[in-house]
Amino acid sequence: MKFRKHQGDAKVDLQMASMIDIVFQLLIFFILTLKIIPPEGDFNINMPTVQKALTGVMIDDPILRIRLEANQDGSLKQLYFGELALGNSAPEAFDQLSAKVGNLVSVQPLVAEELEVEIISDYILNYRHVVAAMSACRGRVTPDGKRVTYLENIKFAPIKRPSEV
Amino acid sequence: MRFKHAKPTVVEADMTPMIDMTFQLIAFFMIVTNFEQTQADERVKLPADRLARPPLAPRELEVVVNVGFDRNADGTKTSDTPAVFYGEERIPVLEYTPRLKREKQMIELQHDKEAVNDATIVIRADGDVPTGLVQELIKMGQEVGFQKFALKAMSDEVP
Repeated sequence: MKFRKHQGDAKVDLQMASMIDIVFQLLIFFILTLKIIPPEGDFNINMPTVQKALTGVMIDDPILRIRLEANQDGSLKQLYFGELALGNSAPEAFDQLSAKVGNLVSVQPLVAEELEVEIISDYILNYRHVVAAMSACRGRVTPDGKRVTYLENIKFAPIKRPSEV
Repeated sequence: MRFKHAKPTVVEADMTPMIDMTFQLIAFFMIVTNFEQTQADERVKLPADRLARPPLAPRELEVVVNVGFDRNADGTKTSDTPAVFYGEERIPVLEYTPRLKREKQMIELQHDKEAVNDATIVIRADGDVPTGLVQELIKMGQEVGFQKFALKAMSDEVP
């Protein structure tokens, strides 16, 4: 019996040009539509329905009041922890605030669970200072990158419009 | 004189590594492209904070409100009057209630009347915006019927 001589594998030429065209178009589309947006985080806030009287910080008081006064240009004039003035330099004043809240939480951990922070801010104060104050009350980041949580319940005091002051 | 006529040789470039790299690049760009951030307005310069953290689970219902100033390409303010950016529109903050009412109606139409209770108003406010205006927005939201509020901040910068 005679066998045909086995022919070598025929090379199949694939048409790569069209695929490469499409692939490059996809690549250009994704490059052009890419927007590098830094990750954004949230601060959840509770909003009161009942206005409560403004008083100082007391350990029995379930509300910790942080007051921020503003200059006419919206910059920080004075930061208060209860009635204690902490200055107006950022971030030092906010670091002090964070340390004070940290002390309070470590001394009274059970009270801290129910403690609520009320941010009392002047109407014209730049919003970034309020975020810094909320962050100082929320917790801190340790040098090794861990988050330590102090207080979660944060709310705003009712609005005081400049015309009402 | 006789010249040798050499047969033309076909040079076949090996395309495999290039295609590999191109597919890897496409995969990379597909992964890092974020189409969900389309509600964020680039004119709003959020305050930075290391403790601000993204929500653990994505919210099903949220109304994003961008409050800021007009800025040029360098990021310099070109207007001193803050406003809410609604697409290309620029709405004074204190006149935003009708839009919030419309958002509420849309949520009620798409879901049910109770869905508004689960909807969160996410406020993306510029760091230079007066705090009072942010509070006004929250108050307007409460009056319309929203109950949950979240304030946005950049989470990866040291302020």
